[in-house]
Amino acid sequence: MMNTYRELVIGGVLIAPIVSYAATAMLAFLMLRPLLRFVGFTRFFSNPSLAELSLYVAMFGMLALFF
Amino acid sequence: MQINADAAAAARPLVFAGFPASSWAFALRVWLAMLLALYVSFWLELESPSSSALTVAILALPTRGQGMEKAGYRLLATAIGVAASIAIAGMFSQTDGLLLAVLGIWIGLCVYAVGMLDGNRAYAASLCCTTVALIAIQQIDSPLQVFPTGVARGAAISVGVLAVALVNEILAAPNYHPALASRIEALHRRVTDLAQDAERGQAPSAPVAASLLHDIAALRPDIASLAAESSVGPTRAAAARSALVDLVSAFSLGRMLAALSATSAPAQNGDDPDQDAAGLIAISRSWLRIEISRKNAQVRSSLDALRAGTRPYRAWHAPLYRSRRIAAEAGARAAIAFTLIAIFFVLAGWPTTELCLSLVAVIIGLGSTSPAPRSFTLVAVMAMPIACVLAGILKYLVFNGVSEFQLLAIGLAPVVIGLALLVSLPSPMLSSLGRLVLVFTLAVLAPTNPQSYDPEVFLLTSFFACLSSVLVFAAQLLLPPLSCGRRIRLLLEEVRRELSRRDSGPARHLAPEEAAFRDAARIEQMVTANGPSAINDQIAGTAMHFFDKADALRRCRAELDRVGQGPLAGAAQAAREALVRRDGGAILASAGALHQAGAPSNLPTSAAIAALIAASAAFMPPQSPTGSSRGTSP
Repeated sequence: MMNTYRELVIGGVLIAPIVSYAATAMLAFLMLRPLLRFVGFTRFFSNPSLAELSLYVAMFGMLALFF
Repeated sequence: MQINADAAAAARPLVFAGFPASSWAFALRVWLAMLLALYVSFWLELESPSSSALTVAILALPTRGQGMEKAGYRLLATAIGVAASIAIAGMFSQTDGLLLAVLGIWIGLCVYAVGMLDGNRAYAASLCCTTVALIAIQQIDSPLQVFPTGVARGAAISVGVLAVALVNEILAAPNYHPALASRIEALHRRVTDLAQDAERGQAPSAPVAASLLHDIAALRPDIASLAAESSVGPTRAAAARSALVDLVSAFSLGRMLAALSATSAPAQNGDDPDQDAAGLIAISRSWLRIEISRKNAQVRSSLDALRAGTRPYRAWHAPLYRSRRIAAEAGARAAIAFTLIAIFFVLAGWPTTELCLSLVAVIIGLGSTSPAPRSFTLVAVMAMPIACVLAGILKYLVFNGVSEFQLLAIGLAPVVIGLALLVSLPSPMLSSLGRLVLVFTLAVLAPTNPQSYDPEVFLLTSFFACLSSVLVFAAQLLLPPLSCGRRIRLLLEEVRRELSRRDSGPARHLAPEEAAFRDAARIEQMVTANGPSAINDQIAGTAMHFFDKADALRRCRAELDRVGQGPLAGAAQAAREALVRRDGGAILASAGALHQAGAPSNLPTSAAIAALIAASAAFMPPQSPTGSSRGTSP
């Protein structure tokens, strides 16, 4: 399966696809934070920050793979 | 913002070579993050890999949340700085003196913004100045290179930020909230002790009270870093903010109680009016006792919420006091100092001075975030030669022509770990020196792939780096930064002006508790401006006297607005008029009238009476027992 990556163009400046994926994943993750707080995500892990980082990496990877 | 690593990870007894284990862990994290940042920068063939290593050195903070928050502001400020560099270079390139004047104005604006902000927000404002210095000033003769340089710097900083974040996450850097909770708890104990002394009519001396308010308000910038720690970070930050605001509120209630306890004794010995006054004081004391215990319970509940990561009972704002006058004076002085140095270089006509001029702007920008810019410059003057010698030793004795990454990693280890240990020390002077030496060593060493070993470039860089710090120091001797005395005088003038207004001035939209915190933040600025020495008794006394007056007035207004409807409207209006006249006797009389008006219908007036009695005590002429009771030693 070949995924074609499109560069983001802002005012004639080309932005690498990895940057737009990282930014989109970060935005999605920030929007998810209230939900994580609501379900008590941090209580399930001994190192919650590492779990949150892993969640971000998973979201970033999924974005890069499927979009 | 200074906290040491052993405070962050409390009670670890393990000590190695004089440093606690947490400091060693912090130093190792800095070294690993720096290696990761350099490796990724080399691998991606970035144009300025040393910027990513510098980012790691700057973000070297012992707890995760602090580092993450600073990283976010660093990225934001870099984006703003790059945009400003493009705009300045685009509009003013090849305009000679005008370009330098515009750069001076930009630096002045950034220093002004630093004065209006605190914590990492102030750092971001200073970084806007630094970014323009490193992009627009370094490319002053080649404006077409401004955009690529900005992009390269942004990419290197992003790599540095990611490296720090990853290493801190994986190596489980400590969270800040346990340390913050224990600091707030210690402050709560001090406030509780004060309330117990107040019961006996003993108020702490004014310098002690000012120092307690300073310690409470000084935690404000640290709270912002909690938000970056985890998904419950913003909730924890709200809980910590509420705890601080309630602490200030409990403190001010304790001072009111102490003042009333001191006035109650003579009042009981008189005729009928005095007996009335004694009755009002008794009502006020009993209300104050209940209110203090309620506030203490609220502080405990906020502390529990902070530890558990749950919402506090109420999310208070903790406003920062901003003095436009002080910020504007500091900004103008910074702009003039930069312009003077730029004129010196234009007159000298030396080649390749753009590096020196950019470092001048960097030192001015970073110095503006410190309470004493001249002391910061002095530390920079000491740090520069040490950094140049360390970079020289690394370059020509340790590496000496090698280009393997493994050797770079091993060679950097002693310097980076040693300086990071110095950063973790509790002494602000040594910690600041360690951080500056670490940053400047990396800036002078400038790790690149392949590494340059040109001695001429190294000597010129070292010379200009040392010269820049000496020139900033000389400019500050010629045009000294705001002295601590003038800063305190300006702050006191502003309090006096606010107090003389009929409304509460800029704080009129705030709840009395939040406005009291704003006043505490102003006292914090006075104590910080005074430096490490103890604050003068007279200044502290004046500051605390104004604090008591402003707090009593605000409480009166809030309580009178609450009871000022229905049958008490007339009495409340009379009390308001007495408050406008700032007449202690009239305020006391209006409290009596309010009590009489409320007594037949059994309306709850004790809060308003307590506030009015406190205001009457604060506005009594100084010869009264109330006036002399303030500022006595316990």
